Amino acid sequence: MLKYILLCCIPFLVTAAPLGLPPVPVPENNQQTPEKIALGDKLYHDKRFSADGKVSCATCHEETKAFTDNLPVSKGFRGLTGTRNAPTVINSAYMKTLFWDGREPDLEGQSKQPPINPVEGGLPDHIPILKTITSDPDYQVSFKKVFNVAAADITMEHVSKAIASFERTIVSGNSPFDQYQYGGNKEALTVAQIRGLDLFRNKGRCVSCHRIEETQALFTDNRFHNIGIGFKKIQGKEDETAHNFLQQKRAEKNKSAKDFVDIAVLSNERVSELGRFAVTENPTNVGAFKTSTLRNIELTAPYMHDGSLETLEDVVDFYNNGGRVKETDPLSNFLAGGIRPLDLSDEEKADLVSFLKALTSPKIAKLAKQ
Amino acid sequence: MIKITLTLAINLLILASSQAIFADEFTTEDLQRWQAEYQSVLDKGEKLFHGGIKSKNTMSCDQCHPNATNTHPETYPKFQQQLGKVVVLGEMINWCIMNPLETDPLPLDSADMAALQTYITHERRGVKLEPGKH
Amino acid sequence: MKQLNRRQFLKRGGALLAAGSLPFSLVEVAFGKGSEENFTFAYISDSHITHIKGNQFVRNWDRGLIRAIAETNLMDPRPDFTFYGGDIAQLGKPEEIDHGLEILGGLRGKLYQVMGEHDYYVDLGEHWRNQLGPDHYSFDHKGVHFVVLNSILTTDEWTHQNWETPMHRMKAMARLDNPNGSPFMVGDKQREWLKNDLDKISKDTPVIVFSHSPLQKIYKGWNFWTDDAEQVQALLRPFKKVTVLYGHVHQIQYNQIDNISFHAVMATAWPWPYPSSYKQAESHLPKLTIEMNRADPFHERDATGWQFINVATGNVDMHYLLPDNQNRIVGFDRELGHPVDKRYQLSKNAIPPQRHY
Repeated sequence: MLKYILLCCIPFLVTAAPLGLPPVPVPENNQQTPEKIALGDKLYHDKRFSADGKVSCATCHEETKAFTDNLPVSKGFRGLTGTRNAPTVINSAYMKTLFWDGREPDLEGQSKQPPINPVEGGLPDHIPILKTITSDPDYQVSFKKVFNVAAADITMEHVSKAIASFERTIVSGNSPFDQYQYGGNKEALTVAQIRGLDLFRNKGRCVSCHRIEETQALFTDNRFHNIGIGFKKIQGKEDETAHNFLQQKRAEKNKSAKDFVDIAVLSNERVSELGRFAVTENPTNVGAFKTSTLRNIELTAPYMHDGSLETLEDVVDFYNNGGRVKETDPLSNFLAGGIRPLDLSDEEKADLVSFLKALTSPKIAKLAKQ
Repeated sequence: MIKITLTLAINLLILASSQAIFADEFTTEDLQRWQAEYQSVLDKGEKLFHGGIKSKNTMSCDQCHPNATNTHPETYPKFQQQLGKVVVLGEMINWCIMNPLETDPLPLDSADMAALQTYITHERRGVKLEPGKH
Repeated sequence: MKQLNRRQFLKRGGALLAAGSLPFSLVEVAFGKGSEENFTFAYISDSHITHIKGNQFVRNWDRGLIRAIAETNLMDPRPDFTFYGGDIAQLGKPEEIDHGLEILGGLRGKLYQVMGEHDYYVDLGEHWRNQLGPDHYSFDHKGVHFVVLNSILTTDEWTHQNWETPMHRMKAMARLDNPNGSPFMVGDKQREWLKNDLDKISKDTPVIVFSHSPLQKIYKGWNFWTDDAEQVQALLRPFKKVTVLYGHVHQIQYNQIDNISFHAVMATAWPWPYPSSYKQAESHLPKLTIEMNRADPFHERDATGWQFINVATGNVDMHYLLPDNQNRIVGFDRELGHPVDKRYQLSKNAIPPQRHY
């Protein structure tokens, strides 16, 4: 643990943005301090914040697995599965919304949801968390030091801010691609990877959503697109699913709309496939999911919001087929306008995969080997 | 000998005054001729723009850009979000040829590319330069 | 399911789209006059289905229409009916019209059709009329008189000149910036028909007119134009509440001329630039219009979409459903007496993507 903080915090504390990335955005009301980060680290790993005492943030977002769990969909409390693949925490600090459907606006908001989801932390509400914290002498001291707050006054705001602070240190750039593109080292990529970069920008049509720019590459546009993954689960039943979901949402009396959505999308496969629509209720958002970053993608298999694509080769095939697993599969009626068959040769597909492997940061790779 | 040289010199002077043989001079005749040269390429560009590029999906540039509107040649070079870098007009033309028109791009130094850029810029004449403007 | 009016449905709290579009209080105001005759219909337009060869059609336009229909089918409660605003086809080929109608077959509920020039100029509308019936007609619905015009006709001289083939004529009309084009018009015969049709209804009856061309004079160079616009408007002048809904322009436009509100609808296929962006000519975009966002051409559905229209006490609120963009509402403001964009009308609310220069 400490090893990791040393690895990432030192560069951070001297406020150098990683090569290929802009400075980490930090909100006004949650400035970084070493003590807050350390507290957040501890909270992130604390398994007591779950109904069976076995699930923490790190359960699904583990550092040796590039801050994911390498499962198609995550397993939480009592091994219960949800409907969605755990996104990596790495570089989530640059996200403008959190979760696959953007239902939380920031890391602070995101961290509060999983502990109280029945298939993740399994807690009925946040009260057990605060109870654990306020009766733990070490936490009492840390919270006092970081937030100048007495134990009785600790709220989930403090908890979430600390966790978010820690997560803002989980950033990585400086991959072979960054060294080539922004570091001026023309030897950093292999010949195949250089071809792959050209395909990424041109024939592969990747760069519009997975952004690369002159001075930085976030590899995401922070927007939501229906690329055709998983729609088979909802095919032909979109209206019915949408209608029922909204009726239930309106009728819900005991939970906030936000909590209702959080639970519904992870517990019901069809509702999950509504994507961003479940949050915005906008028919143009049906089946739309957030563009992931591609940094460290080699280490974060399996892929897509439902973990349905196992390898990078599968991913490239999916896009090459214009948003379907097999060329003969039907297309989603709600398919995004940027998705189309690409007509890539086998060599071109292999080059793209090669290039994607050049997006791994050395320090993340190192963690993964441990 | 001197007589011949003198005659030669006088003839050269006469020649010089009627046809500009000095590099730093050109006549209205030259201007008209060069304008006609330009017009021939402009015409070619207009045709290419209006269905002259044999796209694989039958689309033509003018379908989305009547009179080459919304191409904004006066803003190039600029950061082109779709390409992720600062580009010149020709590179964006090629992006359109590859993407909406689903067809092979033109070499940047080709005659067709020059013709297209001529037409696009001509339809935007008089608009002040604002490179980089999105 | 019994057709509920909007207020009843909202009170039951089950509205799929209503409350998400207008703040609840505004909805109450819009429908506050207690009329039970408020209703909603959907409007899809300008799909420009294009045949390449054999069984191959341009993927982009097919997808645009498919998506608009899929989203329209999500509306709950169901709209009273849907209108299709013209230009099913790109070059008027029977294959294109038939393929478009096949896709439109996925739409739930009754569908009314308007003739577009891209459907007309190959065979002067013969295949379209065989499939769809008359190209001008009227009907009444919940106290509103609906009129459909074929407003993309032009002079006999141009139409019947010595074209090499009918497709040559179609392509000449299809090219928007054609310097040898010919202006759209409703024409004497249809204006006569319209006059007789309108004579039968009281001046208090709200009238909604469907036309492919704008029934205004916006920019002649691109045929954003109806040559006898003033004469058609004159026929509509005696009525208290008139709305004209038109396609053809592939962009958001809205206007008020005396008693007539004008609204353009979005294409499902592709967007067009605003005429003011052509610097070599003068054009007259209605000053009221706050432009739609400039499209990112990578996202093929950007600056395309469909719309649903709320008719409340005879005035029209236009709801634009815009993929990859914020949806927009252009509603009739009773105090000001003209359409107003609910979010952007004050120029200080305009955003960078709306600056078309």
